[in-house]
Amino acid sequence: MIELKSVTKRFGGETAVDAISLTVNRGELCALVGTSGCGKSTTLRMINRLIEHDGGEIHIDGRPIREFDGRILRRRIGYAIQSTGLFPHWSVARNIGLVPRLLKWPAARVGERVEELMALLGLPVEQFADKYPSQLSGGQAQRVGVARALAADPDILLMDEPFGALDPITREGLQGELRDLQSRLQKTIVFVTHDMDEALALADRLVVMNAGRIVQQGRPLELLRAPADDFVASLLGGDDRGLKEAAITRVAERMQPLSLRLLPQARVHRDATLRQALAVMFREHADRLAVIDDEALPVGELSLRRIVGAGREGGSDT
Amino acid sequence: MSMALLTRWSAPLVWLGLLLALAVGGEWLEPLLRWSEPEARRVLYPQADLLTLLLRHVQVVAIASGLAVVIGVGAAILVTRPGGRDFLPLVAQFASMGQTFPPVAVLALAVPVLGFGTWPIIVALLLYGLLPIVRNTLAGLEGLDPAIEEAARGMGMGGGQRLWQVELPLAAPIILAGIRTSVTVNIATAALGATVGASNLGAPIIAGIVNGNTAYILQGAVLIGLLALAVDSLFSRLLPARQ
Ligand SMILES: Nc1ncnc2c1ncn2[C@@H]1O[C@H](COP(=O)(O)OP(=O)(O)OP(=O)(O)O)[C@@H](O)[C@H]1O
Ligand SMILES: [Mg+2]
Repeated sequence: MIELKSVTKRFGGETAVDAISLTVNRGELCALVGTSGCGKSTTLRMINRLIEHDGGEIHIDGRPIREFDGRILRRRIGYAIQSTGLFPHWSVARNIGLVPRLLKWPAARVGERVEELMALLGLPVEQFADKYPSQLSGGQAQRVGVARALAADPDILLMDEPFGALDPITREGLQGELRDLQSRLQKTIVFVTHDMDEALALADRLVVMNAGRIVQQGRPLELLRAPADDFVASLLGGDDRGLKEAAITRVAERMQPLSLRLLPQARVHRDATLRQALAVMFREHADRLAVIDDEALPVGELSLRRIVGAGREGGSDT
Repeated sequence: MSMALLTRWSAPLVWLGLLLALAVGGEWLEPLLRWSEPEARRVLYPQADLLTLLLRHVQVVAIASGLAVVIGVGAAILVTRPGGRDFLPLVAQFASMGQTFPPVAVLALAVPVLGFGTWPIIVALLLYGLLPIVRNTLAGLEGLDPAIEEAARGMGMGGGQRLWQVELPLAAPIILAGIRTSVTVNIATAALGATVGASNLGAPIIAGIVNGNTAYILQGAVLIGLLALAVDSLFSRLLPARQ
């Protein structure tokens, strides 16, 4: 668990981070969003003590971070940065194995772990293990950077725009992996991104920063439905907010049980998002969809009225 | 493989071969030297000496440059550590001063203190050779990509681990280039030592000037030139070919 209590950081006369308070529970993914220069990276760097905070308190698992030795603390915390910071004179495998080696794992275990991570991040060992960072594409280098952050299996991960240079397909794949990792292994993650869809899709807690302050924080749906001010509203997509909400709501949450009416031809999977359901309706010129499960068996139906929420009684929204 | 090795090392080997051949087998060149100095009684600087002089020359440069590397690289590392930052301008200035101060003046000042012989020229070369080494080491260490520094610290590497595993290996090509400049310049400058009694390849040159014998001057100068070429091409092979 990470707790920040009115944490402040000044650089010279400028306040980069201004009395922010934030709690990220174990197993939670917290996404930091905000305009450039609002203090997101600075916040991450204070958590792993790359820079020291000037005011307030930061606790990790209940202990103030100043009680830890900085190096020991950082080996416990995975850190991935946008510009990757891979060592150009080391091979991919050696880069990934850095923290386990610092922790003095036996060589064989480091080797196994490196192969495991390369497989997880879609970097075939035979093809990439001996390459040097200069021989990688931007996206491949970012994956190596993420693998390096995960290498020692840290409980806490700090990720600063880790997927910025990835194509949408790889990016979605890795987002899935990250969510899986987090729910399966109860990682505590602080994640910085400029991609609002990514933030909304991944975050348990969404934190909007502006000029060093936290403007609003809460669950993504809360922020989408009740933005605190115009800044939050426009950052979250302005009028597009509705579609963003649809993009993080599952079909299963809105579908109705099968009725006696004839099932429509157009179909959508129960785990798809409402946004995808809308896209299917648009493409198929249909205002009703059959909802199917993994075996392609119909399990319900979904109407346009239900999607937009007009057909719900009492608004059972959470 | 061995063929590739041979081509890789062929330039330094050729220069070294020429250098040694001239140092030991100079008499074959007598007709050529005679042509440059038809009047003189002898044109060959006493043979037994040339090889010894060459070795002395190498020795003086090696000692001075070795010291300059240890002091120069060491000082540059110290002033780029958190504790030594305050001394960075001082060290940079001292190194530039060392080079603006003419070696001849250093020699003149050092002789009364250290006496005639080899030590004054070692001191002069040491001072003269510090600048390129300090300057390049500073540039190499300061010029590292900040993202790499951040990652190294962020992964939990300590100061020593960062220095040995990241900073020095990445700065090595620039540092080596500085050492190369320093050593090649010092090979030429070392000849000055002959004026204060150091016996090295400067001796034939000084003897030539004193006796008006161009042949002597040629022998010293050519050997110094070949030595500089050989060492310089050795340096250019020293850097590993990395992708
Ligand atoms: N080491 C530093 N020295 C001085 N000022 C700094 C330093 N690091 C950051 N700042 C300043 O602090 C502010 C916040 O920077 P920070 O890097 O945290 O922004 P950010 O939210 O991560 O922005 P971006 O989205 O562009 O990465 C900026 O105004 C920046 O100029
Ligand atoms: Mg940033």
